[in-house]
Amino acid sequence: MTRRAHHLHDDRLFECYLSERVGEPIDPPAAEHLADCDGCGARYRELLRLMDALRREADADTHAVFTPERLRAQHQQIVRRLAHVGRPARIIDFPIQVVSRHMGAAGARGITRWVYAAAAAGLVVGVGLGAVYQSEWASMPTGHRRTAAVRQLGPHVTPVAATSMSAGDGTEDAFLSDLDVALEQPHTRTLQAFDALTPHVRDISGGREKGEGNRD
Amino acid sequence: MAASSRRHLPVSEDTRLATEIRGLVERGEMDEARDRFSGLVEAHQYRASRIAYQYLRDAAEADEAVQDAFVKVFAHITQYREAWPFEVWFTRILINGCLDRRKSRARRERWFVPSEESAPADEQRASATLGAEANPEAQVLARERRAHIAAAVDRLEGRQRTVFMLCHYGDCTPREIAAMTGLNESTVRVHLFRAARKLRGLLGGKP
Repeated sequence: MTRRAHHLHDDRLFECYLSERVGEPIDPPAAEHLADCDGCGARYRELLRLMDALRREADADTHAVFTPERLRAQHQQIVRRLAHVGRPARIIDFPIQVVSRHMGAAGARGITRWVYAAAAAGLVVGVGLGAVYQSEWASMPTGHRRTAAVRQLGPHVTPVAATSMSAGDGTEDAFLSDLDVALEQPHTRTLQAFDALTPHVRDISGGREKGEGNRD
Repeated sequence: MAASSRRHLPVSEDTRLATEIRGLVERGEMDEARDRFSGLVEAHQYRASRIAYQYLRDAAEADEAVQDAFVKVFAHITQYREAWPFEVWFTRILINGCLDRRKSRARRERWFVPSEESAPADEQRASATLGAEANPEAQVLARERRAHIAAAVDRLEGRQRTVFMLCHYGDCTPREIAAMTGLNESTVRVHLFRAARKLRGLLGGKP
């Protein structure tokens, strides 16, 4: 029982292993005990076997994967990469410079002039057409204006909005309210389920008004 | 065994060489610096590959990690101080690179199904180079044994794993590991002991 109390703990055994591994002398009392005690000696040898086996397997594993050829290729790759360290980055010419180098100076000036002229012409034509449409629109009565707008929009406008516009009383307010109703109540069947789940502006504003009424 | 597998120059020689390279870079003699650094690469390449491979378990990724570490070390050689042996400084950079790669791999694996091609490819390559004399059964058993050990090491807690790998696969002493990781030397010893105990439990006493 007394002898058993003197057995080396696992951590002491491991310290012995570490010392031996790095080439340092083992703690003398522990070394003495290991020499005398068969049980601790056997445990120590088992620990050594385990650690050696772990290391041996790792070595074999690395040897198998990192063959001399692979290491040589790796070395060459590192040397290649090192060649770029400390050197300023290479600047690649922007293609426009390459193009302009091949073209004569006169040719480049001519092209620039054409570009400016085309842009100016486009601007003049655009302003002119805009002025013509503006004057036509201003001279049209309000009802015709809406019909013309619907005709221009074509199939993008929902049937409800289009019908209400053509058959409406002519006021813009009615048209806008119809539009609001059309947007708030999607008539597409596939969207109705989503619509049922989504809170509406009218519900929220209705609720708020109710709340305000109660407060009053 | 540890000494026989150390294929690099003595630490003091490395440190002296690294200091010379730093001087060359500071004087702008880059070609000479590159030539000398190439020797350092050759001396540390195998050990670095072993650490990175055991850490990442992917040959291509370990290859890249080693390359990156050497390029990074050369690019920052002017920051090297002799207070640390070159080996310690280099290994610290390598381990940080490996840790970053593990993190980014874990992040990738959260979103993508991990590729199953890389590991078997490495294993096939490994078993192919076991030697013509090794029979297929021995190859299969060796492969299984290594996979078992790798899985057990992978189950170690982060710091325990790093410390264990540096000690057993990187041939580092507890003092060197303390310098690399910034941990106290006695803490390193405790981590090593716990790692060994856990591995013994996981491997059933023998690998």
